[in-house]
Amino acid sequence: MHKKLIYSFIAIALVLALAACAAPATQPTSAPPTLAGAQPTTAAAQPTAAGAATAVPSPAPTVARTAKGGIRKSNSGYKGTLSLWVLGYTPGNAFANPFDNAVAQFMTDNPDIKVEITGYAPDDAGFAKLQTALQSGQGIDLLRLPSDRLPGFVADDLIEPIDDYLTDADKADILPNVLDVTRVKDGKAYAWPLWVVPMGMYLNKDVFAEANVELPPHDWTWDQFVDTAKKLTFKRANGDQVYGWAGFVDPGVINTWGLWMNQDPSVRPITKDGKYGFDTDLAKAGLQRFADLALVHKVTPPDFGSMKDADVKGGFINKSIAMIVDATGPAAQFKAAKVNFEIYPLPTYNGNKLTVGAVGLIAVAKQSDAVKRQAAMDLARYLTSAEVQEDVPPGSNVPTGFYLAPGARKSVKVVDPLDKFIPVLPDMWITPLVVDWAKFTRLFHPEYQNIIYGKEKPGEAMDKIAAEAAGYLGIK
Amino acid sequence: MTSVRTFFKRYGWSYAFILPSLLTFAVFTLIPVLWSFIISFQKYSLARGGTWVNPFYANYLQSFTMLNGIFIDAIRNTIVYTIFTVSANILIGLILASLIQPLSNRLRTFFRAAYYLPAVTSALIIGLTWAYIFNAQWGFATYLTRALGLPPIRWLSDPNIALASITLSAVLTIPATAIVLFSAAMGSIPQEYYEAAELDGANPIQRWWNITVPLLKSTTLYLTVLYTIASFEVFERIYVMVPSGVGNSTQTIVTQIYANGFKEFDFGIASAQAFVLFAMIAVIAIFQFRALRSDVEY
Repeated sequence: MHKKLIYSFIAIALVLALAACAAPATQPTSAPPTLAGAQPTTAAAQPTAAGAATAVPSPAPTVARTAKGGIRKSNSGYKGTLSLWVLGYTPGNAFANPFDNAVAQFMTDNPDIKVEITGYAPDDAGFAKLQTALQSGQGIDLLRLPSDRLPGFVADDLIEPIDDYLTDADKADILPNVLDVTRVKDGKAYAWPLWVVPMGMYLNKDVFAEANVELPPHDWTWDQFVDTAKKLTFKRANGDQVYGWAGFVDPGVINTWGLWMNQDPSVRPITKDGKYGFDTDLAKAGLQRFADLALVHKVTPPDFGSMKDADVKGGFINKSIAMIVDATGPAAQFKAAKVNFEIYPLPTYNGNKLTVGAVGLIAVAKQSDAVKRQAAMDLARYLTSAEVQEDVPPGSNVPTGFYLAPGARKSVKVVDPLDKFIPVLPDMWITPLVVDWAKFTRLFHPEYQNIIYGKEKPGEAMDKIAAEAAGYLGIK
Repeated sequence: MTSVRTFFKRYGWSYAFILPSLLTFAVFTLIPVLWSFIISFQKYSLARGGTWVNPFYANYLQSFTMLNGIFIDAIRNTIVYTIFTVSANILIGLILASLIQPLSNRLRTFFRAAYYLPAVTSALIIGLTWAYIFNAQWGFATYLTRALGLPPIRWLSDPNIALASITLSAVLTIPATAIVLFSAAMGSIPQEYYEAAELDGANPIQRWWNITVPLLKSTTLYLTVLYTIASFEVFERIYVMVPSGVGNSTQTIVTQIYANGFKEFDFGIASAQAFVLFAMIAVIAIFQFRALRSDVEY
């Protein structure tokens, strides 16, 4: 009897232990960090449509394809494998399906070329994997990367310039100011621009309806934004708290910067006259105004400043956050999750319109084999063309088609809901391409957080780091 | 020649048997450590190799001065974290081991196994679980504070308490190794000491304090050194719980090494910081050995 009691006790304890180790029955709003679409550097260059809490990824369907020719056909004569590394690619997710489809079409048109895709996560670990592979010559032929990573790779002589491969049609079609972003050394273009990724304000219309708040005008001002956010910060009858606004703050991203840099056109890390612009009175005023969203107006979640990216997006999807600022990619994610949303430009301040962003690129790694280099350039051209949009149109597992952001070519049509970002493009500030940009953001970010937490005033925070920041930005 | 032959005749097979382990150690531990030491005096890139810095200690100096002195904050945070977690782990391990010691063999074995479960659970999973517990909107800790009528606590987003929250999560994760080792060590203490003490009128607390604790000194030393090294190397818990940081309040030595090595690819600085860590652990371990050295035999 005594033995039976002990054995029963042990069995129950083991069952309880196994149950405790099992996955939770209800999915919290945040996905595990490694899948969270944790923003890559500058976020803007990665539309961030990684595994949503509610979307079930499905692989690209196997469809019969026929060769279509045109720029899909590579005339390099290359026979072999091309290795393509894609940011955010996980088989079945919103980044994988468009590329799988596109690559399938390319291989149909080029039966002698096999394209192997390797994904790397849009977070530190992923960029570490990419950089290590690239620097050690580990067989990367092309890579999808955000613009702020380009200067470092070019400085290490790891990327091929593309000028000799640009046709007249390419030069006429690619947006010139976007191509100029890639001229990081010696005036040469070092990557094929893929898409332009500005930040926008996502509004959850269901929360607006629940709070009986009208949608603001598209040319809303900062005061209108704050007023709207306050009205959208309320407690539901069941005790659940709803917050008016949130954004992802991380050393690798600039999602929220547009909301305080619009204080004045001079509020830039590098001003037009080549000076450091984040320690001016105007910059400090902008930062305080931004921090007051949390400190004074209290429209942000308690964890704002340290929230994980997945928690920001998850909160928007499950209606605990009414408005978020984010890049273009979540549009596909939210559409797939059937969120009733609208996309607005960022609010203006004193008439200053601004959004921040970066450019998504496809670069060709340094190649000694000229034939292979030509083939890689042909693939890069195809992957940044209007033809790829034609071959990967919007469908069930590619909600916005191949392009997750407005394309960098005039011929690329921008589909709903990405067309809502078009009006903000003229006012977009692109992160400067300096080699030590990552060091600058690592220096800036803790001070930015301390300002948001109310632990430091913008004046003391920005003055403390000004000299070192200017050094990293290459300002003498 | 004869002595060499004799040497190999006597010890040849011994060295042959340990050669694979020695080679593995040399290739995967010794050589990387030595190479890392060399890199700590260089500006090193995977693409372009290393060039010596001038002056030779430039990487070490830059480690402490760059990014507004973040490495000094990291060292301070690491020391604070270590002091609290090591003290708590030793104390909790000792108390729990003492509580299960009087139980029958079977129950003692069961509890040792049960308490050891956290040790076999991935640190990543433990960190993720605690991140959910401390979520300021819907975490379990928030639910408890709300139930007690307290205002919401920003467990992982208040720079004044984020490190304390992470330390608390470490303290509340049962120190499995400590329990198992203390329990085993207690089993080897002769019962005669306790019987003699009981005859002299000592109560259980007095017997525990005057007999058990002193006789566990060598085990305590071993665990103190082990937990100190582990605490100094804390990384995954912080990386998972506060990936974006909380100001500099949650930066530790290893998070800085990681950031410099694998975000900036500045291997020279990262290696320099790694050797600073090594030197700190070595000095502390020496002090711990001197302080807790046991000359008790039984």
